[in-house]
Amino acid sequence: MNEEYLWDKSGEPDPEIQQLEQILGALRHQPKPLDLSDEVQPRSRNRYLPLIAIAATLLIAMIAGALWLRVRSKTVPQLNNVRIESPKRQQDIPNIDDKKTNDILATVPGKPNREPRPKVKEVKHSRTLEASNMTAVERQQALEAKEQLMIALRLTSEKLNLAHRKAQGASENQIRNQHKVG
Amino acid sequence: MFELEATADMLLPTPQAKASTDTPETRIEIVLVKAVLAGDRDSFGRLYELYAPMVHGILLARIPRSEVDDLVQDIFLHAFRKLHTLRDWAAFGPWIAMIARNRAMDFYRRTKETVEVTEDLQSMDMQTSRANEILELIRALPEAYRETLILRLVEGMTGPEIAARTGLTPASVRVNLHRGMKQLRKKLGYAEGL
Repeated sequence: MNEEYLWDKSGEPDPEIQQLEQILGALRHQPKPLDLSDEVQPRSRNRYLPLIAIAATLLIAMIAGALWLRVRSKTVPQLNNVRIESPKRQQDIPNIDDKKTNDILATVPGKPNREPRPKVKEVKHSRTLEASNMTAVERQQALEAKEQLMIALRLTSEKLNLAHRKAQGASENQIRNQHKVG
Repeated sequence: MFELEATADMLLPTPQAKASTDTPETRIEIVLVKAVLAGDRDSFGRLYELYAPMVHGILLARIPRSEVDDLVQDIFLHAFRKLHTLRDWAAFGPWIAMIARNRAMDFYRRTKETVEVTEDLQSMDMQTSRANEILELIRALPEAYRETLILRLVEGMTGPEIAARTGLTPASVRVNLHRGMKQLRKKLGYAEGL
């Protein structure tokens, strides 16, 4: 069998394939005119359709977002004017006069004597509950909870420090004993 | 021996395979599809002339011959109506080939397997009768082989033409032709190695 003739009719013709071509040629497609007179012209695909779809989606998302923000701002209580004063901690810190501070700073070499900073009234937290909204008991409970949280944080911090020191000690020991391992 | 060569040929990126993606035919397709979508109906007539033999061959491999001609017309009318859905204009051939295969499957679904793919041999002349006998033998081959063989032996297309129009790789077409022909020769009772 001539493979090249079977592939692209090149080379020496293969008699068997030629015979098959001749017999089966009787079944070949007989061209008939295609009647398109009743057919509607196909629509040309709108190439901007995907862009329009993306723009519409973005617009809808923006409108939905704006509506949501508007509704949310109405439902959430007004918290902006509220503040909580920090309990006790403020009192624990010794009150040092600005004048004394400047005197101390003057003794430090290389540090110029700075002008005393204007006192700014410190607002610790802006998002706190209005004092008038809380009862005395609730406030006491909130303060106790805060104290407990602070203790827990200090404890965690200490443990982390301890773990860090241990890790450092271990790595130093490893470096020291490296010659023994090798 | 040839089996091994054919497999290796399929794996290698041959220049023929690369060329098949950008043949002059695909460029013509793009121009013609663009013209049809712009309102030129005659261009669709040109697409019909180019692709009707392929669609005819694909159908002939699957459904009774008496049904093929009408279905070819139906498929092209359907393609004309749905041409705007074709995203890649260069892929008109593989697209319409897929429509033809789907329509052939639908044909059997509609007729619920009551149609036998046999022809009325008595009403035909000797040559047509013999042609139908051979066609039956080809239809008994695996699907990949029968479609390629019919396009080659009935429609008279060459291997590169089959590859370019159906979207198959030239290597696949070559292997299908070789293996299909080998099986057909066995069925026809031709001696091996001729």
